[in-house]
Amino acid sequence: MDYHRSSVDDILPDGQRLPGRPGMDLNAAGDRSSAPAMDADAFHSASTRILTSINTVIDGKAEAAKLALTVLLAQGHLLLEDVPGVGKTLLAKTLARTIDCSVSRIQFTPDLLPSDVTGVSIYNQATRTFEFRHGAVFANIVIGDEINRASAKTQSALLECMEEHQVTVDGTSYRLDEPFMVVATQNPIEMEGTYPLPEAQRDRFMARISMGYPDRESEMEMLETHQASSPLARVTAVVTAAEVAAMIATVQQVYVSRSLKEYTVALGRATRESGLLRLGASPRSMLQLLRAAKATAALEGRDFVLPDDVVSVAEAVLAHRIILDRKAASAGETPQSVIRAIIAKIPVTPEVTASPNGTGRPGRKQASAMAAAPSPKLPNPR
Amino acid sequence: MTLAPHRSSGSDTGTAGNAEPTVLSSGAVSRPDGPAAQPWVMGTAVAVAVAGAALGFNGVLRGWAWYSPVFSTVLSVAFSVAMLRSLRARTWLVSAGALVALIVALTFIFFRQHSIAGFIPSPETMIYLGKFLRRASETVLAESTPVAPNAGIVMLICAVLGLLVILIDALAFPLALPATSGLGILAILVVPAMVKPQSVGVLGFVGAAVGYLLILGCSHWFTPDARTLADTARNPGQLRRGAVTAVAALTVTLLLQPVIPGFDQGTFPQGSRLNPFGSATGLNPMISLGNSLRSPSGEGRITFATNAPTTPYLRSVTVDSFDGDSWSPDDRESTRQPGTGRIESGLDSAPTELRVITAVNTGQYTSPYLPAPYAPEAVNGLTGRWNWDPATLSIKGVDTNSRDQQYVVTSVTPQLTAALLAGASEPVRGIPEQFLRQPSNVPEVVSSTAKTVTAGAASPYARAMAIQRYLRSTEFSYSLQSPVQGGYDGNGLSVLADFLNQKSGYCIHFASAMAVMARLEGIPSRIAVGYAPGRPTGATVAVSGQGPLPEFEVDARDAHAWPELYFQGVGWVAFEPTPSRGVVPAYATDAASSSGASTNERNDALTPGDGSRQAPVPAPGTVPLPGAGTPAPGDAQGAQALYGVGAMLLLALLVASPRLVRSGVRRRRLRTAARGYPGATGTALPAWAELRDLATDYGVAPQASETPRHFSERLRASAALGEPGGADGPGQRAAAALTEDFERERYGRPGGAAGPAQNADSADPAGSAAARIALVQAALRANARPLVRLRAAWLPPSVMSGWRRALPAPRRFLSRTAQLSRTAQLSRTALGTRRGLAESWGKFRNSVRRVRRG
Repeated sequence: MDYHRSSVDDILPDGQRLPGRPGMDLNAAGDRSSAPAMDADAFHSASTRILTSINTVIDGKAEAAKLALTVLLAQGHLLLEDVPGVGKTLLAKTLARTIDCSVSRIQFTPDLLPSDVTGVSIYNQATRTFEFRHGAVFANIVIGDEINRASAKTQSALLECMEEHQVTVDGTSYRLDEPFMVVATQNPIEMEGTYPLPEAQRDRFMARISMGYPDRESEMEMLETHQASSPLARVTAVVTAAEVAAMIATVQQVYVSRSLKEYTVALGRATRESGLLRLGASPRSMLQLLRAAKATAALEGRDFVLPDDVVSVAEAVLAHRIILDRKAASAGETPQSVIRAIIAKIPVTPEVTASPNGTGRPGRKQASAMAAAPSPKLPNPR
Repeated sequence: MTLAPHRSSGSDTGTAGNAEPTVLSSGAVSRPDGPAAQPWVMGTAVAVAVAGAALGFNGVLRGWAWYSPVFSTVLSVAFSVAMLRSLRARTWLVSAGALVALIVALTFIFFRQHSIAGFIPSPETMIYLGKFLRRASETVLAESTPVAPNAGIVMLICAVLGLLVILIDALAFPLALPATSGLGILAILVVPAMVKPQSVGVLGFVGAAVGYLLILGCSHWFTPDARTLADTARNPGQLRRGAVTAVAALTVTLLLQPVIPGFDQGTFPQGSRLNPFGSATGLNPMISLGNSLRSPSGEGRITFATNAPTTPYLRSVTVDSFDGDSWSPDDRESTRQPGTGRIESGLDSAPTELRVITAVNTGQYTSPYLPAPYAPEAVNGLTGRWNWDPATLSIKGVDTNSRDQQYVVTSVTPQLTAALLAGASEPVRGIPEQFLRQPSNVPEVVSSTAKTVTAGAASPYARAMAIQRYLRSTEFSYSLQSPVQGGYDGNGLSVLADFLNQKSGYCIHFASAMAVMARLEGIPSRIAVGYAPGRPTGATVAVSGQGPLPEFEVDARDAHAWPELYFQGVGWVAFEPTPSRGVVPAYATDAASSSGASTNERNDALTPGDGSRQAPVPAPGTVPLPGAGTPAPGDAQGAQALYGVGAMLLLALLVASPRLVRSGVRRRRLRTAARGYPGATGTALPAWAELRDLATDYGVAPQASETPRHFSERLRASAALGEPGGADGPGQRAAAALTEDFERERYGRPGGAAGPAQNADSADPAGSAAARIALVQAALRANARPLVRLRAAWLPPSVMSGWRRALPAPRRFLSRTAQLSRTAQLSRTALGTRRGLAESWGKFRNSVRRVRRG
């Protein structure tokens, strides 16, 4: 029983206490994208503020910070996976604190129960009724530390909330707050006594980020600045939850052209047809890939998506969902390398370029697969 | 192990592609008529083009009976191609299938009795195929146009046209070079243009032109651009522009034709026969004679030295059968005698004979018949095998021709006088029947004219003289043009009737008129074809045993025909009915007193002393041959120079063609970019394509899987575009702006395409796509090494990429068959050779690439 709501108080500095639990199920009953979109300048300034704030805390991880923000704006959930001590939890906490919204943190342990996550009905002696006590999941940003240490049952309770944006206890459904984002961390090294997330559950996370070690300068600077006090203490909220909702609405209005959709579909199909993969990317992942690309485009200040946006998030969005063929794995391939290879093979604009075979010669296995596939029956690019 | 599931999954995606509600398949469904109709429409266009061009063969082949097999062959090949393509077969499979269809069609049409099941070739078919081919080659070598459509030649034409269908289709479709397919059509037209006297003919020309325009139109209609810009490429404005272009092109063709050497006379395409090898090279001297005379330059020059007192006519062949639509020499192969060492001239009772030695050098003159003075007794110094006809004394090559022959002819010339001829009044005996046979269906005007002219003449000689006098009278005029304009340029009885009505023509008409009328009057006759006496060159040639002899020359413009009449007891006697040409022999002049010993130049003084004749006949040496710009003999060099210049121009055009293609593409794109498609905002697309090609030309080729932004960044970062900050700043900025516009147009919200960048730039001229492209090009040029610059200008890789794409196809095919054979457990050796072939092809391709890059 390590879960503690009091952590909210740890994270938020004094005087920054949130105005009560916002909305709860009642407020969020409306549309997820009810907030009005904001204009490009406001969006740009808000996103810059958030990123600057995060970067003051975590040195040399601008890419990870940006990706985290992308996931937040694309209404996805984030899986941070790396060795201990590189700042996974710090990133999650910082992101949460730069936004003026409710935050809760759950430390997952094997004995954590599903009701600890979702909440429980307790009999009130005074009123003689059952009262629902909210679990840790009722917050705008939920930080799930070491999610692979919890039992499968607890994990799936959280994952249901992630997908449905609601909690069902004793037959009553409670809406969760908007924006709602789960930032889960996971330690890939020490897997003993853990319950690794099955594929189906990994698929619910929009993106997986590996933090990686900081470079030399960043590490030096960190030692310099972070000696005395936790950098978190200086972080204040730079945007309100309403602003974030407006940003999300803006992202939703980013335009996706037909040829870009075709490109995305071609990517997805290529992962399913690749001889190096045992499991390709799901249609849901394609949807999430496009959403993440939209958020990226918005962060770049564009109101339409470019193939570059898809390419830049493809690794983070797809790599944790695909499973390598055993032979490919033993040959030293990684999911990331396979996705890079597929991106290097799929033509971006088939109408302009000549032939898909023009660039890289596929491996022998793929060649045989291609020979078997009746390529002339595919829509001819010519 | 892993192959099977892949294969099945692959075929799944293929067959079920339409059923799956994915974005891709819906894209394919949105154009339901496109891929289904395209192969059929294109196949029809190719068939129309080839079948239309084949109309030009009428006249090369007689009648129209040959057209139905040709048409069905072309149709079956074209539609089998279309069917295979609509089944989405692979490229090589389409061509192979079409070849099989061609073989089956030919077998069915020509070898139905000698094949398996009527359409599968069997060994017996091969035997008959050999026979047919031999027949066809005999036809080509020996017969004169128009030839009778025998099965051999028709089969050959069918096969060639079928192959051309495959070629044209391959050019227009997988190679995506529809304009180049015109070469295939041109290949069809070249044959009638060179063989037929009237050139291609309107029918063939129009058929070919319509087919070619159809191919171009259809390929444009189904072009990928038309797919993406669906409503813009198919608007009525396009049709109007196309029609205007076609009309303009036709007009230019008609105007250009008189300027181009080689096209001789008349309005294109009628009568404008292509004469690339000069004249006198035709297989039928009768056919080519008019064209020889009309040739502007003296091709086929023959020089000869002789000790004869008068310059002799050189005779190569005679025509004696006056039946049929068109006359041609009868070779009488069965009675020909081999060897030319001793020829029996058969002059039965020539009173006094003059033995003449003539040394002939034929040079470029090419003909199966050997020109020699009449009557040859022996010919020495020939190479190859020759034989001669006892009846006509024409000498013909068995396996050789007259090109580059030097030989010495010994001939006897009977010394004839008018008195001697006048005495020869006995009925003829012992003459082969063919010289006496009266042609059937003689037109009324011919026989009536003969009767009128010869009325009152008693002896055969008098009748002959009457005919000659009539033809040389002022009623008749010599003209090379009027037969062409009057539509009776040629020979035959109907032509003769036209000639007698029009009273204007050239030697062939006069000669045949006299020969036919003489035969109607019972005098045996034939038409000799050869050369009128030429001009002395001024040089002398040393002939062994004779010492130096004066040299003469004749060329195509001296080509001539004259009648030879037979008189009992005298033999064959030549007459000269053509006014202003040749030399009238002494015995054939009316006065019979003036000497016939004359050269061509002095001909004027030797015209018959007919009292009624007032108009002086101009000297042939100075008579300009009718026709535009007929040059004097000295202009032969000028014409050759003209050809040389033409060849140089052609070569220059060939060398410059990649550059021309490239600049044409650029102009079109920039024009489109400047104007925009009607009804669409797509201006950035062509500009972007141009930027890509520019970068390709300068060595920064875009990858298919590269995003536009990445490519643009790579280009700007590369050394090709120079430093961002320095002098190349404008180029850098222009490239960035082009990229941004393209991204906005392709991926941005439609309607809102006019972004702020465009609006801001539209005011100043530097913001236009053309200006930006120019900036980028300048930067690229400035930073490129000289060699790269040269290649970008003359051999732009973006143009050559079409070739590059075609290059790996054979290797792909080979490796695929190698793989198939591995799965089929074929023998190891076959596998090895195929793999070896595939590898060596790969090596060859790589070396070609290296050369191109280097």
